[in-house]
Amino acid sequence: MGLVEQVNFPKPAKFILNWGRKYSLWVMNFGLACCAIELIAASTSRHDFIRLGVIPVAHGPRQADMLVVAGTLTDKMAPALKRVYEQIPEPKYVISFGSCSNCGGPFWDSYSVTKGVDQIVPVDVYVPGCPPRPEALLEGILKLQERIGQESLKDHFARRRATEPIVVGGGPIHQTAIRDE
Amino acid sequence: MSPDEIVQHLTDATGAVERSEVAHGEVSVWVAPARWVEVATHLRDCGHCHFDFCTFLTAVDLEAEGFEVVLHVYSVRRQHHVNVKTVLGRENPSLPTLSEVWLGANWCERETNELFGIDFAGHPNLVKLLLPVEFEGHPLRKDFKLMTREAKEWPGEKEPEEVSPSQ
Repeated sequence: MGLVEQVNFPKPAKFILNWGRKYSLWVMNFGLACCAIELIAASTSRHDFIRLGVIPVAHGPRQADMLVVAGTLTDKMAPALKRVYEQIPEPKYVISFGSCSNCGGPFWDSYSVTKGVDQIVPVDVYVPGCPPRPEALLEGILKLQERIGQESLKDHFARRRATEPIVVGGGPIHQTAIRDE
Repeated sequence: MSPDEIVQHLTDATGAVERSEVAHGEVSVWVAPARWVEVATHLRDCGHCHFDFCTFLTAVDLEAEGFEVVLHVYSVRRQHHVNVKTVLGRENPSLPTLSEVWLGANWCERETNELFGIDFAGHPNLVKLLLPVEFEGHPLRKDFKLMTREAKEWPGEKEPEEVSPSQ
């Protein structure tokens, strides 16, 4: 990335840089199940996340800033998710949308479902619900933008997982999900 | 043909029907594994039956009694259905393939093979269809252990069995 990962920008420059970044989040829609419908609903006229600066349907992962994993990730699909994540250029953010992608959801006992996408990719925002309403995704996006607005890119590159993930609606992340690792 | 006529016809024409059942207007006939392909070929070729569409082929784990393979076929021309079933033993369950009779049975048999571990002799390409290649075991068998609970505690407050749907 060059300069941005080496120097601490003066405050006004950081503000403008982050202001630009947080209001042009190209989203890579990784829709896997019914949650994808809620994600699409969030992008259409009633909920309209474009007004928050989220631009739906990047042409591909290489043009995206944000990955929304919406739906049930199976073990067979997991390598594809990893591959898409790695194709997205830094700085990149991941929203885990729905119970299935948070922890396996109702398929927790299944032989084929991955119990949480956080086993595969680092997650910045968890949106709980089965499926969550589009408003929940909007809140997740707003919280993520708040964080992007405050972050220093140098720190972002230095320690990718230093910050605690955001959980929409508050509340702790479940003890057995990831925090113990 | 009506369900009763189908049973009567199959009994007369093939002599392979061991028992039959009509429930909710759907007819099921049980045949011996040795007559499986013969009965299927009759179902397809006989002008009275004319079952030209293989809807699905799957299996049921009956535990001690073994596995019941279920074939459902439909006739687009005559608009009637039949379930053909056969019971296999628990040890090395094997059945001749129907992929030569209906091409659609090919993938159904691959799926039944990976999920139940039933061998389909003579199948042209009996490899996994849905599961990852490295997956071990046959997950729809009732003795298949779900390993999640071995690795992690159940995170919920109640077991699913404790909560009835009405609550």
